[in-house]
Amino acid sequence: MPAPEDGLAVAGASKRYGPTVALDRVSLEVRPGRILGFLGPNGAGKTTAMRAVFGLVALDAGEIRWRGRPAGFADRLRFGYMPEERGLYPHMPLGKQLAYLGALHGLTDDAARAAASAWLDRLGLGDRAGAPVEDLSHGNQQRAQLAAALLHGPDLLVLDEPFAGLDALAVRTLTAVLRDEAARGAAVLFSSHQLDLVEHVCDDVAIIDRGRLVASGPIDALRRASRRRRIALRLEGAPPGWLPPVPEIEVVERDDGALRLLAADDVDPRAVLAAAEDAAEVVEFGYGPPTLAELFVELVGR
Amino acid sequence: MNGRRAIALVARREIVERLRSRAFLISTVVMLLLVAASVGLGGFLSKETTYRFAAVAPVPADLEAALDRAADPFDARARLDVVPSPAAGRETLEAEDADALLILPQDRLVFRADVDPQLAAVADTAVRAVRRHLPPAPELSVVSLEPGEAEHTDAEVLVAAGGSLLLVVLLAVYGQSVIASVVEERSSRVVELVLSTVRARHLLAGKVVGIGILGLAQLTLIAGLAAVLLAAGAFDAPAELGGSLALVIPWFVLGFALYAVAYAVAGALASRQDGPDAAGQPVSYALAAAYFVGYVVVSADAEGAAAHALTILPLTAPLVLPARSALVGVPAWEHALALVLVLATIVALVRFAGRVYAHGVLHAGPAIGIRDALRLSRRS
Repeated sequence: MPAPEDGLAVAGASKRYGPTVALDRVSLEVRPGRILGFLGPNGAGKTTAMRAVFGLVALDAGEIRWRGRPAGFADRLRFGYMPEERGLYPHMPLGKQLAYLGALHGLTDDAARAAASAWLDRLGLGDRAGAPVEDLSHGNQQRAQLAAALLHGPDLLVLDEPFAGLDALAVRTLTAVLRDEAARGAAVLFSSHQLDLVEHVCDDVAIIDRGRLVASGPIDALRRASRRRRIALRLEGAPPGWLPPVPEIEVVERDDGALRLLAADDVDPRAVLAAAEDAAEVVEFGYGPPTLAELFVELVGR
Repeated sequence: MNGRRAIALVARREIVERLRSRAFLISTVVMLLLVAASVGLGGFLSKETTYRFAAVAPVPADLEAALDRAADPFDARARLDVVPSPAAGRETLEAEDADALLILPQDRLVFRADVDPQLAAVADTAVRAVRRHLPPAPELSVVSLEPGEAEHTDAEVLVAAGGSLLLVVLLAVYGQSVIASVVEERSSRVVELVLSTVRARHLLAGKVVGIGILGLAQLTLIAGLAAVLLAAGAFDAPAELGGSLALVIPWFVLGFALYAVAYAVAGALASRQDGPDAAGQPVSYALAAAYFVGYVVVSADAEGAAAHALTILPLTAPLVLPARSALVGVPAWEHALALVLVLATIVALVRFAGRVYAHGVLHAGPAIGIRDALRLSRRS
């Protein structure tokens, strides 16, 4: 008996483009108040899945559900979307444009204008409200696009690579915004290739590869469930090429005295430490579940 | 949100953005100036008119001066040649050396073929003045050498030709606005965001309605000015021409609905790299062909079978019907049949557009051919 759905559910979504399988029975859920990172190599089907949420892709099989029912047009008005293909009306003044998009989402004209100006202020674009979008810098256009997704206080946010091309300050702003939106009760889904960032920001992840879901769930649970463990060592005076005497060990990174390894989860870390101390002086030693990045490579590495 | 609100929002944006661009204002002013200038030109040209009278001798000495005075209110001049006999006068008339022949002893004014009422009035006034008679009894009886074919008056031709030219220009200009708007949404990629909140058919409808309202406003201004000038007698036109002029407005609406939806579909099915001109080419060709075929056929024979057919065919009806109505009049059943056919075509086109538009505007690949589009429209 599955838990009652209270957010977004992609249920068995399949889509082919000619001979190419874009989605193959993908199912995932995004809960209110939680942030889901949507991961996968380029061309894995992330964008197709997100476009399907907005009815922009007609699925061959499966469906998009919202609060337990097939998502309809009225539901989608309560969603916010930042498409992979960014774009706003180039000649239209920013403030008017956002107010228009807000009204399309069902806000009254006054509410849409107020929301537009509030979000422009929050994102540091308050003084550019009268400027045509084409006059804005790339970074500011990116913020404007974010404002367009957030304007109507959506119940579900779907952002396709929102962190791509952002500087460190903008990353911090966006992180704060996403956390606030989740705290407000919105279900948040975004795709990214910046896995450290996803590990930092998200509660849950879903990983797809070649159109198939390969893992999903809370990040910590996925990391702990891995059959592998990461071992980090910093050694001084180790013989070149030294490795602990452990079967099936994988070298993730070797740099100067630093060594990052992945080993099976039944390897005893104390034995590794003891072997290292025999070979060299151990400055640092770490042991634990793999990072999200390591998990990702493990799941989709080929 | 209901569909009507979505359509209204889209339409409002189209109107506001176009008004902001100033192109609309400038083109309206230019077109109004053109209408006013054509009237000014007409006045200027008619000042050059000289009525050439021939009169059978003997004639009173002051007749030429009286004719000239009588012609003056019409911004015309008069010239008088005296001929020795009615037969000689007839020859002068047939050689087109004179516009009308006065045979005073018989109180007759003879025309070659068609009676020019203005010229007849000038002659009548002048003869009355010379004889010091008072109105109202007509002084002269008017006859023609041969009953001519009914030729169209200047005003009829002006309304017919000007009306259909105005229609084709506005259909092309505003059709291009629709396709430019579709292409802009596609090339800027904002369409992905817009279609996540608005149904494709509402987006399409909003665009056509918004841009159509602007076109209608501009046309109403121009046709209104022309109607005012007609009423003020600038073209010396019969009153029923006002009705033909008024027909231009509903047929603009119908023609625009037809061609604008076709332009929008063309914009959606084109390759995303295409500009509005390239994308709209098939529709622009169809519109130009409809105009030229209509023009050639109607000016050759406004009563012929081909002209009747073009009055009814949906692609040509918006351009041909108002023109023929001004020239020869169109029976009610032809009005009705043309209206039914064009409405049916619009409905079919809108349904087709509603099915392929979303797929078209979202696709990034090469242009979608008409065969694929038809397949799409059947599938969805």
